[in-house]
Amino acid sequence: MKEKMYIEYLFMLMTIGDMMGIPLLPPYYTLRLLPYMVPNIKGWKLRMLRERDFTDIVTG
Amino acid sequence: MPRSVGFKYLFEKRPELKIAIFAGKGGLGKTTSSAALSYKLSSMGKRVLCFSTDPQASLSDIFEKDLFGKGEIEISKNLYVLEIDADKRIKEYVDSIRQKIKDMYKIEEIPREVEDYIESAVAEPAMYESAVYDAMLDVVSQNKYDFYVFDMPPFGHGIRMVAMADILSKWVDKITEARRQAYEYEKVASRLKREKYTEREDQLLKELESIRDRIVGFSRLITDPKGTAFTMVLIPEKMAIVDTEKALKMFEELGLRMSGVVVNQVYPPAILEDPRAPEYLKKRVEAQKPFLREIYEKFENLILAIIPMLRREPRGLEMIEAVAKELWESTITLDDLEAISKR
Repeated sequence: MKEKMYIEYLFMLMTIGDMMGIPLLPPYYTLRLLPYMVPNIKGWKLRMLRERDFTDIVTG
Repeated sequence: MPRSVGFKYLFEKRPELKIAIFAGKGGLGKTTSSAALSYKLSSMGKRVLCFSTDPQASLSDIFEKDLFGKGEIEISKNLYVLEIDADKRIKEYVDSIRQKIKDMYKIEEIPREVEDYIESAVAEPAMYESAVYDAMLDVVSQNKYDFYVFDMPPFGHGIRMVAMADILSKWVDKITEARRQAYEYEKVASRLKREKYTEREDQLLKELESIRDRIVGFSRLITDPKGTAFTMVLIPEKMAIVDTEKALKMFEELGLRMSGVVVNQVYPPAILEDPRAPEYLKKRVEAQKPFLREIYEKFENLILAIIPMLRREPRGLEMIEAVAKELWESTITLDDLEAISKR
């Protein structure tokens, strides 16, 4: 279950990662995936921010 | 035998050509060259589509007709022109995405986070580029014409997208694979929810594959060694020479081959011999010399055509015909360029 979740997040990161400032696919095409991502968007963004904080603590 | 140049020779060597792309900075003669080649090929009986996006140096001006955002318009027999309105295209596309979200979740309003995302995506300059490339692929896939001439938008050298297409297609393959794996886990993990859930997953996978196909399709369209001639237009000026060299290097690094270059706005060297030619004109011919020498030395084997400096702006079918003649079989030969470079 957890593994599945990580793959989901990886996928999210690759497709709409540019929300976090990491553009990978051109926005023209990520928009086509957006409708499918709608339910995940809020939770995903929070999670990414949390993980970034964690990294900051470790490296800083 | 003088070493003549012109697109005539390119077409003799490559009879399977179906697409010509003109790239390079704005203001060097890309749109004029595109219009001229389209005109020439259509006059030879081919059904030609001339595609452009740029509302500034536009086909509308050249053909003296408002074509912008009007769809495919027949200018003369066999000659069709499409000047796309990329901004309008983006707007329609984004609206369709909004509608899809509303339909999928049966909601009236787009959630704020999602709307924020849409708006920031639309603001990206890459959005415009992608929309243009998508439109290019569309017209070629419809396969309604014998020949396509593309006037590439004046940003990013037109070559960056080859690199982009390659990287992107790899990325989408990876994403598709990751998605497929997620899908496999899903099957095991949630048998109960499965039916309703997987239907959407399947759609998403299809969407991803279709994106990959578009990207690969576009990459093939512009790099096809048989069917496509990728051409850069330059003029005898330092910046244009530097840009062309950079583009050539990028092409090489990507393992691609540029078909060649068109040298535009060249003052015929005969002006120097003409006693009636005004002094200022002779000075301009002199000023071009070092750059023509550089062009000859650096791009000798790549020169496809040499277009002389025109007396007036290339507007209207009559002027386009004059440019087409030079593009097809140039009056100025490689020997002329060599002579200039030795003087």
